[in-house]
Amino acid sequence: MNVRSKAWKLLMIGGLGASLLAGCGSKEEAASPDAKNAEVKKEGFPIVEAPLKMTMMAPDTGVQNWEDMVVLKEMEKLTNISFEYKNAPKDSFETKKNLVFASEDYPDVFYAAGLTPSEQLKYGEQGVLLPLEDLIDEYAPNFKALMDEYPDVRKSITAPDGHIYSLPVIEFSQHWYRNPLWYNGSYLEALGIDKLPETTEELYTYLKRVKEEDPNGNGKADEIPISSVTTPAANIRDIRTWMLGAFGIYEETLFVDDNDVVRYSPIEEGYKEYLKYMNRLWTDDLLDHESFSQTAEQKQAKGESNQLGLFSAWHAYQLLGTEASDKDPMFLPVHAENVEKAAIAKNGGIKTGAFAITKTNPNPAASMRWADYLYSYEGSVLFNKGPEGTLWEYTNKEDHTKKAIPAPDGKDSEEIRSTLTPNYGIPAPTILTDEVNKGLTTEFDEWVNNETQTKLLDNGARVPFPALFLTVEEQSEINSLNSDLSTYVKQMEAKFITGAESVDGGWDAYVDTLKKMGAERVAEINQGAYDRWKAN
Amino acid sequence: MAKAIANPIRESKGDKIFLGFTYAYLCVALVVVLYPLIYILSASISNPTAVNTGEMWLFPKEITFAGYELVFNNPAIWNGYLNTIIYTVLGTALNLAVTLPAAYALSRSDFVGRGWFMGFILLTMFFNGGLVPTYLVVKNLGLVNTMGALILPVAASVWNIVVARTFFQSTIPKELQEAAHIDGCTNLRLFWKIVLPLSAPIIAVMALFYGVGHWNSYFSSLIYLNSESKYPLQMVLRQILVLQEMSAETTGAAMNADTAALMSSKAETASLIKYGVIVVSTLPIIAVYPFLQRYFVQGVMIGSVKG
Repeated sequence: MNVRSKAWKLLMIGGLGASLLAGCGSKEEAASPDAKNAEVKKEGFPIVEAPLKMTMMAPDTGVQNWEDMVVLKEMEKLTNISFEYKNAPKDSFETKKNLVFASEDYPDVFYAAGLTPSEQLKYGEQGVLLPLEDLIDEYAPNFKALMDEYPDVRKSITAPDGHIYSLPVIEFSQHWYRNPLWYNGSYLEALGIDKLPETTEELYTYLKRVKEEDPNGNGKADEIPISSVTTPAANIRDIRTWMLGAFGIYEETLFVDDNDVVRYSPIEEGYKEYLKYMNRLWTDDLLDHESFSQTAEQKQAKGESNQLGLFSAWHAYQLLGTEASDKDPMFLPVHAENVEKAAIAKNGGIKTGAFAITKTNPNPAASMRWADYLYSYEGSVLFNKGPEGTLWEYTNKEDHTKKAIPAPDGKDSEEIRSTLTPNYGIPAPTILTDEVNKGLTTEFDEWVNNETQTKLLDNGARVPFPALFLTVEEQSEINSLNSDLSTYVKQMEAKFITGAESVDGGWDAYVDTLKKMGAERVAEINQGAYDRWKAN
Repeated sequence: MAKAIANPIRESKGDKIFLGFTYAYLCVALVVVLYPLIYILSASISNPTAVNTGEMWLFPKEITFAGYELVFNNPAIWNGYLNTIIYTVLGTALNLAVTLPAAYALSRSDFVGRGWFMGFILLTMFFNGGLVPTYLVVKNLGLVNTMGALILPVAASVWNIVVARTFFQSTIPKELQEAAHIDGCTNLRLFWKIVLPLSAPIIAVMALFYGVGHWNSYFSSLIYLNSESKYPLQMVLRQILVLQEMSAETTGAAMNADTAALMSSKAETASLIKYGVIVVSTLPIIAVYPFLQRYFVQGVMIGSVKG
């Protein structure tokens, strides 16, 4: 008995020691929550007279330590605000973000965090994320002007409770919703095609000819007319948007039609036509039979050995492993015979959740002014192009025309850029306009822009569904519905296309099942949110 | 070969058939184990396009050492290597310092409260705090973003303590301990001078278990570390491979043609060094294994069979 109580004592002492240790860790947090807001200048730099240090959480692509990034150092000099960076690798950023929220170990600001609308609402309502609208009014002249100029920005970032919890990524110079499809130019030449297919039937003929006429001229029937990859998130997504468009469907899950009615794509009649068409491509061996299993690298390898006739890529030459050229034309969206014109999806250009301020922030006003600079022309150029004189210089400062400076030692200038600035491969808070790139585009870029303009934008490309908020309850209902729906849709899509189930025979049962799983409810909830957004 | 060693009694037909099957089975097992090793070795010196198209399936095609060049010229990999060695050496040393005394103490039948302590320790095998509470503990101990975060929280593994305890129980006879005590030996000295020298197999096994664990671990560095300079090798590898997965579609970032072009070229580099990096990072473990293997079999067996 005596010994037992000794053991207890030991345990208690141990526990006491641990709690003492625990006390040490949390000291730093309470360091400077004093009302220093008064010292923040409303205009001009530096933002604060006395140096201010905060913590920033951001995803990291692992190219360069953020402490060593020239752009961030410049920013520190300019504003007198420095950051301690809490980076997490980009691919595991979600995990770390959840951990941070769950453990209440908040950074002072989130940068490029990709906070989802539901996270913004949830943590906004809990008071973890600060409402920004008053700060924007007072301390963010650039961003405010931007919202006045583009009402859609304000609409899209305002939560249903009327607050703004995050600043967005705005890209008005990028119109693609998905990577475009590209034709293999050498195939077109070999087959003597000078007019791109405009209907699904013409496209079928092209693919068939690729299959049968040996356009790569190696004497082997190794051509793959169209190839795609499947990720855990979605089947053959890279080509699907374009194929669905032929049957009047803008996007694979949700879109709003021309009469402001929200549609759930997988139960639409056009979706059935799409499945039939794809099934036909599959049965005739025109759609790569590895489309549901291969990785992006495997597709890349096929591209490099010149086996593909039509494929998705950022630029065709990147997949074919050739030099940039205007020989590989962009896919002109085709349409089915009974559909008047193809539905073409366009990038909305607004993505919320890029920048947020938390309740531990010692000086929200200063943080807001810091972020506001990112939405000015100068800030955008600094963060997206690097400081003047490293990779570019002005030829005409008045109208913002620039010219590129070749990178030293024959290095890739983009490679160097990725070490200068954090805005590389992450959804960073910024605004990208054509003005930022003025003078820096190459002839090839111009050609691509022209292809985009004539083939997509001029043919009526539009945003399939605006960026909008659902309430917390709506979001949780959607989440639970979607977890069943998307799995089932994904499974059935593969079955229909590969012919494991016949489209004609199985369609009605499939639609019934989806309806039972709440497909219509998903559309209904989003309809409500869309109407709110529209009325805002 | 088998004949030379085999006993003079002639094998029956049944035995021969059995032997034949055994060899056939072992050959299949050998192929299954060996194939991935050869594949990775070959892939590491082949042209990545050949690997991805499936042209390279056993022997290297279009041999190139560019992948290894990139690996050896990448400072992040070397830094990661150094960190991993630090984590593995320090971590394993601490693991042994904690596990062996704990296991020995728990193996002694005259240890008062043994069952009680053992119960407590075993409890943690079945219940644990989960990710967030553990993170909070580590954070409140001030260990976040320190090297300690990768070493201290995993200082003891219950499973290994149990294995070591069983070893001590079955190999160190109680009489030995009594004899030592009669000669005036203290417990500490007994452990240090008598028990440990007799326990080489279990020390080797524990070192291997823990060492491999440290070498391969990346999850805790993912959770606890913020700065790249402290990343272990596995984490650096992960990042390199993840860059490969990154494409215009998946980033959700503001993109432009240059970024897309760089990502696409990065993807090629990554597929080139992927296998090289796997070889470089597993080589040390493979090299150490044969030397410890002798103890390995012995140690685990002794721990499990009482005799």
